[in-house]
Order: sequence, then structure tokens, then C-alpha cells
Amino acid sequence: MGRYIIRRLLQAIPLLFLLSIFVFLLIHAMPGGPEQVIFNPHLDAAGRAALRASFGLDQPLPVQYIKWLGNMLTGNFGFSFQTKQPVTDLLSERFPNTLVLFAAALSIALVMAVLLGSLSAQRQNSATDYTLTALSYFGLAMPAFLLGLFLQDVFAVQLHWLPVSGTQTLGFSFDFFNGLLDRFLHLILPTTALATLFVAGWSRFMRSSMIDVVKQDYMRTARAKGVTPRAMLFQHALRNAVIPLITVVAIDFGSVAGGAVITEGIFAWPGMGQLFFNSLESRDFPVLLAILVIGATFVIMFNLIADILYGVMDPRIRYS
Amino acid sequence: MDISEKINTAPTQEDELEAFLDLTPELVRKRRSQGKIIFDRFIRNRAAIGGLAFLVLLILACFLAPFITGHNQPDVIHLSDTLQGPSLRYPFGTDDLGRDEFARAMFGGQVSLEVGLTSMLVSIIFGIGIGSIAGFYGGIIDNVLMRLTDVVLAIPLYLLLFVLSATFSDGSPRFVILLIAFFGWTNVARLVRGEFLALKEREYVLAARTIGARSFRLMFLHILPNAAGAVIVSATLLVGANIILESVLSYFGFGLHLPSASWGNIIALGQDLYDSAPWLVFIPGLLIFFTVLSFNLVGDGLRDALDPYMTER
Repeated sequence: MGRYIIRRLLQAIPLLFLLSIFVFLLIHAMPGGPEQVIFNPHLDAAGRAALRASFGLDQPLPVQYIKWLGNMLTGNFGFSFQTKQPVTDLLSERFPNTLVLFAAALSIALVMAVLLGSLSAQRQNSATDYTLTALSYFGLAMPAFLLGLFLQDVFAVQLHWLPVSGTQTLGFSFDFFNGLLDRFLHLILPTTALATLFVAGWSRFMRSSMIDVVKQDYMRTARAKGVTPRAMLFQHALRNAVIPLITVVAIDFGSVAGGAVITEGIFAWPGMGQLFFNSLESRDFPVLLAILVIGATFVIMFNLIADILYGVMDPRIRYS
Repeated sequence: MDISEKINTAPTQEDELEAFLDLTPELVRKRRSQGKIIFDRFIRNRAAIGGLAFLVLLILACFLAPFITGHNQPDVIHLSDTLQGPSLRYPFGTDDLGRDEFARAMFGGQVSLEVGLTSMLVSIIFGIGIGSIAGFYGGIIDNVLMRLTDVVLAIPLYLLLFVLSATFSDGSPRFVILLIAFFGWTNVARLVRGEFLALKEREYVLAARTIGARSFRLMFLHILPNAAGAVIVSATLLVGANIILESVLSYFGFGLHLPSASWGNIIALGQDLYDSAPWLVFIPGLLIFFTVLSFNLVGDGLRDALDPYMTER
């Protein structure tokens, strides 16, 4: 097991390397540069050259790449063209917000998918099963932004139950508890919008996986020994049925990240997604590069964790 | 009794069987071809048939209705009829410039369907090409192609599309189609590769190779047809996914640029008028929703119909 983890980690390195080249070339193929971001009509040719040189853009591309890679490995993502702040500062400002949204949506989606999928499997071909199936089809056909817009309209604009956007109410000073409550209320709508998109697909998967497991011989043996149906489902079947779901969730991890960007755009959630949209509009390359590389690194890492978890959950899988 | 007579009077195999088996209706039933079996199974799936019916109606409506009903001028401005709700004259209402929303939705539907279907076709072709080469040849070719797939899969798709679109796009349908197709092949490639890995070890492939079939012939005449079922299902599901992708891109202003309006653009434009004219968001939204839903239902129906392990009813 330990050797397997080390080997997978070593395999991830060339992947990350390829990925960094790909992203770097992509971003450098974009037209524009700092002189277009910093609008200054008095800037002459010499001034432009000096500006480019200050960001290291006068050097040949391979040199730029190696410098950027070297800096990135030490945690330095360069400076934003727009604000001149270190990219690391910009990111660390936004990262916690994205992490909160992401973690909340992911955990809710997982719990809901496992619960609803098991429920549908347990009551296969019942009214509950059909209703959940129909709902999951609705969830799968709904574009992320539409769901966000409708939730916003119904619960915030029409009913005034929840705040429309942002992470907290501005211009009020709350005590600690109310401040936390305020943040929590702001979190509900974006989390729901993001989680719903994935509950649909994952719960369908969970259902079919559960149905497969329930048919197995060891389940019949357990029933024959007098295990109650409820205990069978939650103690014997659940663990085995969740294993294939891990792979699906790992594959979808990139889409969850993409969905988070869209959700942040709709709910004006000041996270990395919003930073991404702003940087894209102003062609702020260093920030875009950092966001793409960090996003991709997380996807690769999560896939690795999923593979390892797979082995932990299912001892039958032997890695050679 | 000579030998020929003996042969003629000997009970045939069927006669023997008849003595043991009850002739249930299933046994007497005429043998059906593979295609007929699949068709019969699909026909019995009411949800899939509903989806198919909706898609046929939608395609007919988008491409014919504007001309039959006279709602064929999506860009003509009627300043006396601004922001009207759905009525007989304007079935889907009008926007702030008095443009006929029905005509806009139908013409937008043409664009959305065109983008969804063509980008699916292009990515399926990419996916089949890459997946079959990787699966058939294996070894280092497989390794290189699959690492490439991993790289594309690792970057969150929306971010990649936003960056590429903001950089290179002229906002024409052709560009958006290529963009979506260029990154949509990964799942098909993995699927085809998996099928190829399993199928290329079968005896019939070995037999074909023994009588001198070349690699190209083996790949596309012998192996690929057996992987067709899985590809067809994922192609159907991909259309829906691509329509959503296009609408998200267009909604955020990174997809199609006007005048090529798709459902995504119409929503983006209508959003500012949401308070006074909610139908400008609801109608294209519902159209996207039902179109994607229908493609998913048809795809799932095909999956069930094509699955040889499904018990025959």
C-alpha cells in the first residue's frame, strides 16, 4: 500500500509538469499584457519596454517558463499586472471563501446522494423511487446558472427569506454569534445551487450500486442469520455500495470546481471564481495562471486520494 | 430397411425437443433480429419515447415553425409592442425592443441545437480516433494519449473554456462548436479505449487477423461496431451536456456573440428585465431544460435497449 501511494505520487509529477507547460503556453498565447492592463496614455515605447521588463516579459518564453516554474515551486506566483500585489496574497484572501463554499456543497451533495440513493434502492420501484428518479432527471437537465437564478429569485427576491448575494451583510456590525449566523444564511443558497447539480447524478449512481450490492450472496446470508433489513442496509451494504461512488465523485471533482466558479459568479461570492472572472476581463496573466494551476493540482490530488481511499475501503483490491 | 430410409424416419432434433418442452408462447414466437429486439425494447420505454417525441417536435418547430406561423423576423423591432406578455399575437411575448420572442426562441433554438449536435459529432470523432488508437496499439502510444487525456481532464473545463473563448473567440457558432468539441472528447476516448482493450483480445479479432486483416480494418470494421452501443449512448448524453455548456458560456458572455443568439444569450439579455418580463428568462430556460432532459431520457432509453444483459421481457 505504501509503495503504491509513493508510485502514484511519482506518476503525478510528470502529469503536473505537462499540465504546467500546457497552461503556461495557453495563457501566453493570449493577446495583451501588462501595458494593456495598466491603461496609461502617456506611456511611450521605452516605458512599455520597461514595464514589460519589470514583469520579466522581455525574456524568451522558455526562460520565462523556467523562472515561473521555479518561483511557483517555492510558493511565489508572481505579481498581479493589475494591482501589483503578490498573486499569493490575492489568492489567500479569496481561498477561504471558495473552500467554505466548496466543502459545504461537496459534503452536502455526498450525504444527500448516499441517503437518497440508498432510499431509492431500498424501496426499488416504489412511488418514492420513481419520485426521486424523476427529480434526479430534473437536476441533471438544469444548467448551473439557471438553478442559481431561480433560487435567488424565489428565496431572496420574492420571499425575502435569505440574502441575495455576498458572504455577509455589509455595513452592520454583529456580535460573534450573529455574525456567524449571518454568514451561514449567506451560504445557504449558493451551496444549495452547487450541491443540487451533483446530488442528481451521484444519487442515481448510488442507487444502482446499492441494488447491485443487495443482490449479492453475503447479503442473503446476513438476512438468513437474522440481521434486520435496516442493519443490513446501513452496516453491510452501504460500505460496499459507496466504493464505486468514490471514483465517480473523483472524476466529477473538476466539474464541481467549475460549478463553484459559476455559482460564485451568480451569487457574487468573493472567492477564487470571482477573482478568475475579474482577471480574465483584465487579462491579468499571473493570476489566471495561478488559478488554473491550483485548480488542476487539486483535481489531480483528489483523484489520487480517491484511488487510495478505494483501496482502504475495499481490501479485495490489491495494488501491484 | 436400407440406410436412406432409416435417415428419413429417424426423429429430427426438433421432434425430440418437442417431447420434452411445453410450447410456451415465448418459444413459438418468431425469431427477431438483433435490431428488432433493440427497437422493441426502446419502444417500450415510455420516458424515452416521450423524450424522442419532444425532440422531433422541437426540431420541427425550430426549423419550420417560424416560416409556417409567420414568426420569422427575430430581429425586427416593434416599438409599439415592447415588453408584452405571452399572447395570441406574440406566443412568447416581446422584449424591451418589442422583438418577437417566439421567433427569437425558435431561431435561438436552431443555433443551440446546431452547436449541441455538431460539437457532439466532432468530439465523438476525436474521441473514437484517440480512444481506438490508444486501446488498439497499447504500450507507449496508449500511455502518451492517456496522459494527454488526463491533462485535459485535470483542468476544470469551465475555466479552460472561459480562458480560450475570451482569448481566441470571434463569437461565431463555428468557433464555439470547435471549442466545446476540442475538450469534449476525453470521456468518449476513455470509453472507446476501454472497449478496445477488452474486445481486441477476443477470438474473432484473432481470427480476422489470421486471415490477413490489417490493423485499420480490424479497428474500424471489426472492433468498433461492437463498441458502437456504448458510443451511441454517450453521444446522446453529450448533446445535452454540450447544450448546457454552450448556454453557460453564452450566459457569461464568453460564448456566442450577437447576432448569433442562442438560448443562453437570450437568457443573459432577458435577465436585466427579469422583474418586468420574467418570461424572457423562463421560456428559453424551460426550452434548454426540456431539450436536455429529452436527450438524457433518450440516451438512457438507448442504454437499456442496447444492454445485452437486460432481461428480455
